[in-house]
Amino acid sequence: MTATITTTLTVNGRQICKAAPAHLSLLRWLRDVAGVTDPKYGCGEGICGSCTVLLDGEPVSSCLVLAAQADGAAITTASGLLEPDGSLGRLQRAFHVTHAAQCGYCTPGMLMAAAAALAGSQRLSRQEIRARLHGNLCRCTGYGPIVDAIELAQDEAADDRGK
Amino acid sequence: MFIRPFDYERAEHLADACDLLRAHGEAAKVIAGGQSLMALVNLGLAQPEVVIDISRAAGYRDCVAADGYLTVGALTTHARLASDPVAARCQPLLGAAAGQIGNARVRSRGTLGGSLAHSDPAAELPLVMVALGASYELTDGRQTRVARAEEFHLGFLTTQLADDELITAVSVPVLGPGWGWGFEEFSRRDGDFALAAAAVLVRIADGIIVESRVAVGAVGDRPVRLADVEISLSGAAPADAAARVGPLRGIRPVGDAGASADYRAHLCRVLVTRAIAQASARSLEAA
Ligand SMILES: Cc1cc2nc3c(=O)[nH]c(=O)nc-3n(C[C@H](O)[C@H](O)[C@H](O)COP(=O)(O)OP(=O)(O)OC[C@H]3O[C@@H](n4cnc5c(N)ncnc54)[C@H](O)[C@@H]3O)c2cc1C
Repeated sequence: MTATITTTLTVNGRQICKAAPAHLSLLRWLRDVAGVTDPKYGCGEGICGSCTVLLDGEPVSSCLVLAAQADGAAITTASGLLEPDGSLGRLQRAFHVTHAAQCGYCTPGMLMAAAAALAGSQRLSRQEIRARLHGNLCRCTGYGPIVDAIELAQDEAADDRGK
Repeated sequence: MFIRPFDYERAEHLADACDLLRAHGEAAKVIAGGQSLMALVNLGLAQPEVVIDISRAAGYRDCVAADGYLTVGALTTHARLASDPVAARCQPLLGAAAGQIGNARVRSRGTLGGSLAHSDPAAELPLVMVALGASYELTDGRQTRVARAEEFHLGFLTTQLADDELITAVSVPVLGPGWGWGFEEFSRRDGDFALAAAAVLVRIADGIIVESRVAVGAVGDRPVRLADVEISLSGAAPADAAARVGPLRGIRPVGDAGASADYRAHLCRVLVTRAIAQASARSLEAA
């Protein structure tokens, strides 16, 4: 039985190994133990999506997973979307261009939901993009600019593949 | 987020988790996908002293068809159930229901066993299990037993599981020749729990419904089969089926902040008739 547990996660390509209280959620482990503060605490119930990260490529609410449950996994957060040189990645640039962030609290989660949505090979319609964002709440933008951003990023990726 | 700290145990096998449950008694809770338990913990509604993690246990993640039954492991995630080709071929109602659960993040982590054990009256999977006449395989690590879905769900978040028992797998009959299925639910927003839901199976022969199974969820403290509707459908032409569905006597909806009891009853009847129409169309296609 253990009150403290050592967890090793590869966060945005960097391996982090830390001992921490066993009851910490992945969200708290990332923020308070590993210092990765992109995912945000919103509701604690998996409804708002502001804590969304990719766990081995799958979108999860990091507030509803224990860090210990994720031991050994690869985690991607919003800063994992940066280009290797530290400049904004495609999705982040698109969010910037279309003004898809206002207060910004939902943005790190939105970006990860978007990354998960665009990971598949099939082209998503606007309606399908909206459907993929079910479960990520934004109280500022009215969602339009966010859908614009994801569409833009999708188009750019398609252009790149066409080249 | 003021969470009471708890200890963590990792079970490599489900039987180990049963031993741990016995060792720790009431203070312990099993965690699988965490999509119900962690929300309760974050809200302070559950305050376990020990959390026993079965999410990393070996096995219990397969969908296997044999001898007319489809067996699904308890650790199968909703996302996997929604996309598994064997499940889709053998009993498509399961994947259709699993795909309606919550949002993509819930489906990535949430498990079949967790959903059935949690036994939320509005949950999709207990509903389709009742409709299909599923049996649940349970173990306390020493002995196994089988529980029928219709008897397992006792009421709001309450089941037949003993304190040291876990669900290991679920078996449902493979969709037989000539059978069609329908699944309908209504919620205010996509991803919310259903205000009402219906799962229907019918078999049509020579243009009339000869057999059916009709169950509804979210309109009482557990999913229920509607025997009176099944009887009234027997012998009906699919086009007349809607007219045969009278007031649903098998349900006792309660009003809450989401919907009044009357509205839920109305919704339920509408969803049942739509699901019958869907199932009939599929049965006719299959014939
Ligand atoms: C935002 C959100 C929306 C949701 N919407 C829906 C919805 O629309 N429909 C729906 O049906 N559900 C919904 N859910 C709940 C979801 O389906 C959960 O995944 C499911 O109820 C629990 O599965 P789990 O594996 O996450 O279990 P956990 O949360 O890990 O455990 C739940 C309970 O089951 C017990 N348990 C877990 N596995 C077993 C087992 N094998 N044997 C015995 N006991 C076990 C645990 O001890 C605990 O008491 C939603 C959840 C969230 C966060």
